[in-house]
Amino acid sequence: MIEDFIKNYLNHPKTYDEMFLNGDHYRDHYSNFINNFSKESLENLNKKEELAKKLFMSQGITFTVYDSGEGIEKIFPFDIIPRIITSTEWSFIEKGIKQRLKALNLFLKDIYSNQFILKDQIVPINVIYSCPHFLREMHNVNVLHDIYIHIAGIDLIRDHDGTFYVLEDNLRTPSGVSYMLENREITKRLFPDLIPQCGVRSVTEYPAILYKNLMSLSPRAVSNPTIVLLSPGMYNSAYYEHTTLARLMGVELVEGRDLVVKNQKVFMKTTTGLQQVDVIYRRVDDDYLDPLVFNPNSVLGVAGLMGAYRKGNVAIINAIGNGVADDKAVYTYVPDMIRYYLNEEPILKNVPTYQLSNKDELDYVFANINTMVIKKTNGSGGYGMLMGHAASEQETDEYKIEVLKDPRNFIAQPTISLSSAPCFINGKLAPRRIDLRPFALNGPDGISIVPGGLTRVALKEGSLVVNSSQGGGSKDTWVLTS
Amino acid sequence: MLRMLKTNYASSQDTIQEFTWKPVIRIFSSDDENELLNIQHDSRAVIEYLLLNRENQNSILNIVTLARENARSVQEHIPKDLWQCLNEYYHAVKDEKLLWYVQKDDPVTALDVLIKQVMLYNGTADSVMERGESRSFMNIGKHLERSIQSVDILDIKFSSISSNPDLLTDISYWKHLLLSLGGYELYLKTYRQGFDAKNIIELVMLNNDFPRSALYAMHNIERYFNRLKSESNIEHYNNLSFKIGRLKSMITYSSVNTMNEEQLHHYLTEIRAELFGIGNLLNEYYFANS
Repeated sequence: MIEDFIKNYLNHPKTYDEMFLNGDHYRDHYSNFINNFSKESLENLNKKEELAKKLFMSQGITFTVYDSGEGIEKIFPFDIIPRIITSTEWSFIEKGIKQRLKALNLFLKDIYSNQFILKDQIVPINVIYSCPHFLREMHNVNVLHDIYIHIAGIDLIRDHDGTFYVLEDNLRTPSGVSYMLENREITKRLFPDLIPQCGVRSVTEYPAILYKNLMSLSPRAVSNPTIVLLSPGMYNSAYYEHTTLARLMGVELVEGRDLVVKNQKVFMKTTTGLQQVDVIYRRVDDDYLDPLVFNPNSVLGVAGLMGAYRKGNVAIINAIGNGVADDKAVYTYVPDMIRYYLNEEPILKNVPTYQLSNKDELDYVFANINTMVIKKTNGSGGYGMLMGHAASEQETDEYKIEVLKDPRNFIAQPTISLSSAPCFINGKLAPRRIDLRPFALNGPDGISIVPGGLTRVALKEGSLVVNSSQGGGSKDTWVLTS
Repeated sequence: MLRMLKTNYASSQDTIQEFTWKPVIRIFSSDDENELLNIQHDSRAVIEYLLLNRENQNSILNIVTLARENARSVQEHIPKDLWQCLNEYYHAVKDEKLLWYVQKDDPVTALDVLIKQVMLYNGTADSVMERGESRSFMNIGKHLERSIQSVDILDIKFSSISSNPDLLTDISYWKHLLLSLGGYELYLKTYRQGFDAKNIIELVMLNNDFPRSALYAMHNIERYFNRLKSESNIEHYNNLSFKIGRLKSMITYSSVNTMNEEQLHHYLTEIRAELFGIGNLLNEYYFANS
């Protein structure tokens, strides 16, 4: 059975495959899994795939696509074969992310107060001041424990030789953690007993750690602070995640209209009157948080919230204005920040990045556009990207015009051949490109990262884009104990 | 019980150390414990034993078979829907596929099937039963059963702590206890300070909003028993009413959160004995006429 699979499994050339070395040799850390997996018949595997779909559907882990006026519920595609990470790889990743977050957090503290890093000319001033997510409103705001980044999702990819690179930092409202938790629950059911046998570390404590951190951030010294999760509402594509996290932590899920600000304190409307809110875990973007300060048309936010925040009467998680640290133009300088603030060499590498606002780099990128990926500096979800090797000439030309209008808004990176992992597709094992988003939680007790994360898969054959909005799926991610 | 199995199974899939089913076996089996301890590390075997074993008097298979026999003999007293529901439950348990799920495939599917049947049964009983004597007896029985189970689970879980004090601070240990009782979400909403043994005891014994708490059960037992008044022998009624009232006060005015482990065990044992006493008296007064 498994022999057939392996025989028909074609490695992409010049690609690091997570399971297979070459031909039919697989990596050691997969052997436990493969031994078990090979006992399953094709029929059973198909059944497992069906079961996975059914479970996602019945638990409502869906997003809604509106088509001809009728909502169609779709599930986020899930591949039944887990992606396995060794404990050595994991401790490397863990160290790297902790270092990076520490530096980024110091950077935010600095940039919103003394701005030493600008004065020492490590980061050019114009890069910061031209960033739309740099909020002057945040200047000298006292943030509790000086923690700006409470929750981060760092996107990692692997090059053809297996080296890990940081592709993106997500420091505003990173999503996907509910899929990490659900994927594990589903895998437990698809492969009974396999997880303990393989020695996979548990991810279930994530909500508990997050909850503990939120509790400790309450500005009021009360034993029972009110914590709420502020969601944009049920039409948001991540609404499922908001409800899951609220339920797992036992906190109230609120929308902007459920909150009011009075005397620079935030209150929640309840059946028994107003109740003061201490901690807001918000899943609403900065721009929509407070119509008095930011986008005046926003109905998702709460008027006066920023005032309460500046006054220190409410904690907002993540802090406002974090966007300046995960801007793709600022990303280039993260290794320098690590050296500047921590006096350490960066553990995790950056993908080489060209600033298109720099004339020389712009010319170089345009000359080699076939090997480049061009992205918007403040984009996300895989929108507004140009994949040089796959785009038609017309697309390229149109994109160039777009870039020239405002080069500051764009960066370019050489196309990286993402690592691949086997997926069970139409009854066969086929390689698909993947990335990894571990979730880090930063609280007064330090940074903790649950062993695992979300492995996103580009399900289209040959595709290098893993975003769910671009036809991506996900896999369960196993971190082994030894 | 099914919920407990499901939770324990889930936790067995989560731990890296060897998972033991010993507490579950102690709660739910009537047979010789020692024999069963041989299978305490084999999830599938335990689940099979507790669900489908014919030798095990307390297996779901045997319980449902007996319930169906009972229902069959009183078909004229219960609505047709209810009888059908039980009958379907019986056939669901007998389904060979169930065994296959437990032995070879995904045991949770089997548990889900059965849990759904119980919910169906409860819903059917609630919506179609006439509000008469038989329903009162049914509800008294249900709440007696539930409270005994809650007390048992609490007792066993806390007695494991005395031999292993590390569990006191183990989040997943408490989480699984609460999940087994279906009280996890309520707990999170009620108590904000994380897991604390005292709060858990308070929830399971004294929270009147929690459908599986001992106090909630006592309120309901009292309520349904009062409805039997007109049809009862007055002496019997007064006697039982006294016992129920006394137990209710004993639970209401207890100070569980100041007890130490030994006192707690003693207290739980006492309540358990009282609950059994009420059950036995009911049986004697109402069903053992000769």
